[in-house]
Amino acid sequence: MTVEAAPTNSFTHSGKFFNVLGLALKNAALTVLTLTLYRFWARTAMRRRLWSRASAMGDPLEYTGSALELFRGFLIALPTFFLPAMFVFYVAPLVMDPVTAFWLAAGFYLVAVPLMAAARYLMRRYQLARTRWRGIRFGLAGGAASFAWASFGWTILQTLSLGWYTPVARMNRAKMIWENTRFGDQPFEFIDDGEPLAKGLWGPFALGWFAAPIAYFGAFIIMFMIAAMLFGTGALPVSEQIPPEYGVVVVVAAIALVLVLMVLLWAPYNAAAMNRIASLISIDGARFKLRAKTFSLFFVSLAGWLITIFSLGLLAPMAGFLQVRYVLNRLEIVGTPKFAEIGQSIMDEGRAGEGLGDAFDLDMGVGVV
Amino acid sequence: MDATRYADGRAAITRNATVEFAADRLTFSVGEAHHAWTCADLRRADDGAGRVILKRKPDTGERLYLSEADGDRLKLAAPALFGPRAYGVEGRATVLGVAGAAWSLAAVFLLGVPLAAAPIAERMPTRIRTQISDISWSQVELFADYCDDSDEAAHILNDVAYRMMAASDVAMRDDIWITIVDAPFPNAFALPDNSILVTDDLIAMSEHPDELTGVIAHEIAHIEHNHVMKNIVRSVGAGVFFDVVVGGAGAGQMVAIASVNLAGLRYSRGDETDADERGLDYLDAAGVDAAGLARLFERFQVEAQAQAGDAGEIPTMLSSHPATAERAAAARARARTGLSPSMTDAEWQVVRRACGSALLHQEEPAPVAPAAPDTPQAPPIQGAKPEQLEGGAKPGAATPAGHGAAGED
Ligand SMILES: [Zn+2]
Repeated sequence: MTVEAAPTNSFTHSGKFFNVLGLALKNAALTVLTLTLYRFWARTAMRRRLWSRASAMGDPLEYTGSALELFRGFLIALPTFFLPAMFVFYVAPLVMDPVTAFWLAAGFYLVAVPLMAAARYLMRRYQLARTRWRGIRFGLAGGAASFAWASFGWTILQTLSLGWYTPVARMNRAKMIWENTRFGDQPFEFIDDGEPLAKGLWGPFALGWFAAPIAYFGAFIIMFMIAAMLFGTGALPVSEQIPPEYGVVVVVAAIALVLVLMVLLWAPYNAAAMNRIASLISIDGARFKLRAKTFSLFFVSLAGWLITIFSLGLLAPMAGFLQVRYVLNRLEIVGTPKFAEIGQSIMDEGRAGEGLGDAFDLDMGVGVV
Repeated sequence: MDATRYADGRAAITRNATVEFAADRLTFSVGEAHHAWTCADLRRADDGAGRVILKRKPDTGERLYLSEADGDRLKLAAPALFGPRAYGVEGRATVLGVAGAAWSLAAVFLLGVPLAAAPIAERMPTRIRTQISDISWSQVELFADYCDDSDEAAHILNDVAYRMMAASDVAMRDDIWITIVDAPFPNAFALPDNSILVTDDLIAMSEHPDELTGVIAHEIAHIEHNHVMKNIVRSVGAGVFFDVVVGGAGAGQMVAIASVNLAGLRYSRGDETDADERGLDYLDAAGVDAAGLARLFERFQVEAQAQAGDAGEIPTMLSSHPATAERAAAARARARTGLSPSMTDAEWQVVRRACGSALLHQEEPAPVAPAAPDTPQAPPIQGAKPEQLEGGAKPGAATPAGHGAAGED
């Protein structure tokens, strides 16, 4: 007798906020106490926790990576990336003439763009190779280099188009990643539904593109007007107890308002892109349906940002957790893959962790969509 | 639904299984097939999320999803599988080892780099020293202008300096050159190429030649003791350490940088005291009254207090002010009477007119922007922060590009 999927509620994330927060706090404390070297253990422990709470068709995901693998990856990245970086930023300005040193640094930044894309890809490969469901491993085929160069090209197009290529670039990246994703020996597909890739993304993107700068300046103007009313027109007694730093308060308030508005104005686009990507993913004929909505996504994203900012980045994994839980609890599978025919992955597991992913701090949680 | 199930690691399905528990092993049958697993080779795959899930080590891909009842029976049969090690997480010893390694490495850098700074600085090749000097000068040009009319005044200051250095037998006295620059704050600082810059505002703030001479003596001492290079080596060392060890890790990095800044501040103060003492030796040897320097220090202190009153709370620890009263007292203690001024009246008048300093002074009795010693508010440049008779706090010592471009001090 086989246990197969129920048609709905096929995915859930049962992570409890305070349970995950407890782990995040412990990780943060140990990370500080160990001059951040605990970060590999922290990351591993958090992933185990988050994966184990994510379940598909009643059975949980399992994260099998180890901290020592991550640490080894860091040690490998040390001479291959950090030492050249040290040379470029610390030694070159002292021993080379300024013009050469400048071009060296500029060249380094230029190389860093595709390098980061490659690191992102390798990190995802590592995470998928360390993810199992019913004992079957996930995997990511394809070359990090080809992803890096393609991604670099899309970045250039995004820049040249003043951002307008972004929706297509996002879909292109998702397509490339999902077409290379495997569950066991079964590849995922990124189907062509006969519509443009970025269908339905242009409206929400335009909203963000036009409204975000307006909101940006608007927030500062509003805050300065409020400040002028409070301090300028006698709402408060004008005397020496007005702190000279009130300008700082105004700026901080304006930045907070900008953050809220940015997250809000980009939420429709992000929700639409996530839904669109999920709708094109397919495995063994089964399709996915994600129900991300503007306002729910806004609250989840804002909560993540606030936790991250107020914890000075130490509790950033909480943002990843909220996002992943949000996605999984709104994700459905339409149709049932023939799991009995999906065999074990034969791809190499790899041994060396995430290397540069750590250097660039690319850990974004699970990154489901 | 709550049945014990088995996944064979070859297909993504589970089949119901019947489990028997023995002391050191568990056996289970799935349909016709029978399996026997040794408890010692088992690990938990469930991370405490609810149901107990078992896997084997090394991982065969097989998973056994225990029902609640079977999970309870396993707990009795093999309690070891419910300890923290059963999840295959690295032990506490590994983590303690890593923490120990991190702190040892930090100790090596925080203690070793300052110790190694002097020998490294002394062996710095001339080419690199010249290179660093060029960078310093290009940064100086961002906040200071040359004065066309200061040649005569500069010669006077250089003569006074040379007399002092000759009296104390300073080895590099032929390489040291003083330049007067137009800058919006009273300051003097030494560059890696043995130049000393004196700003017109500092001249304006000095009411007696001995005051200015005292400052110059202090800067010469910085050069004689190679403080500029040592500071650069220390900054670069700390920057490299934190970028390498801490990697891109966020807040921990900031915590670590803050601690290094405090340490850097302390070393700088050590250099300051050193330069103060040596500078007073020069004054003694050359027969210049140290009371001048004492008066200037006291004036700086008054300015600093006036400023502190205006701005609210300047964090005293970071602005490294506490030392100023002591420094004034140290100079005062070595004051001598009956000495003639270090410059003649005529010479002092020439110096006062350099870069329009005296003019400035007459128009505004209180010098503009009287940056108190070491409140590094003046130029928006890192590295070439014009230190003022005192080593400064170093905000943002880990900004890569800013490091050590010019000697702090
Ligand atoms: Zn000094």
